[in-house]
Amino acid sequence: MSIVLPLDEEQRDALQELLNISMGQAANSLAQLIETKIDISIPKISAVTPTQLYSLLFETEDAFYTRQSFLGDVHGEVMSVLSQAGLSEVATLMDYDEPLSKEDIQEIILELCNILAGACLAGLSEQLELTTNLNMPTLFLPDKANFDELQWQHSLVMEVQFVIAISSFSMRVVFCLDDESLARMKNTLDELLA
Amino acid sequence: MSLSVLVADDSKLSRRSVIRSLPQDLEYDITEATNGQEAINSLSESEFALILLDLTMPEVDGVGVLEFLHARPNMPNVIVISADFQPEKQKIVMSLGAKRFLRKPLDKEELAMALFELGYL
Repeated sequence: MSIVLPLDEEQRDALQELLNISMGQAANSLAQLIETKIDISIPKISAVTPTQLYSLLFETEDAFYTRQSFLGDVHGEVMSVLSQAGLSEVATLMDYDEPLSKEDIQEIILELCNILAGACLAGLSEQLELTTNLNMPTLFLPDKANFDELQWQHSLVMEVQFVIAISSFSMRVVFCLDDESLARMKNTLDELLA
Repeated sequence: MSLSVLVADDSKLSRRSVIRSLPQDLEYDITEATNGQEAINSLSESEFALILLDLTMPEVDGVGVLEFLHARPNMPNVIVISADFQPEKQKIVMSLGAKRFLRKPLDKEELAMALFELGYL
């Protein structure tokens, strides 16, 4: 089943640009921390069912998964997929000593989520002049059954990817929004385009 | 006399934001380009005093536009306005003769300051 994207072309382009700007801010703060260049993908925006969301996120093997909800003028959930590959190189850049303990790994994952996903959402909210509060990220293991129970039946998904150039590490961040938040965001986008 | 400005950005939202951020003290004659190739076409046809240039664009990117300008005599003032402001990018852009590098989202005050420093205000 495919779902029609609930945005017109101008709104989609505008949202893509705002995401791009937010990603730039997020990537820059990490790039400064680890003194390494970070590549960012062109943001993808789509509308999916929970089942499609599940496959979108979890087609990747050997990954860590986190989720964090946000509340405020718009609400939804941010899910991140971090590759296991290259994580230890990133840890070294973040001044962690090898070998990494389980606690170290968890700390690094949550830190990366705060820096990249957190900054990305903050940047997006700021530009849309909306207030959002992001909860702490938690690690989780994807379970298909739980996805069918997600409250966003037709979620707007904004997907961005960060790649650290000198290692094989990559991280995908997916933002899910509910219908009410989507309507709110569309109004703001229209104002910015006027 | 109005200032001839070329605003090159593939995003309409960002072009609107740039145009809205221009200080009210001056009058402008604004041309918009929606990608780097369009910018190069406009630059080949007309003279501009000031170029407000995005980097990430289809067809030809902002660096391509700078390379085009850099290879010609009398390079106009270019202010790069980009979401990608990692140090490496800034270095390339400045080496190609851009006068300023401003970050997106564009801060009105920063743009005004840059225009002041370049002698427009």
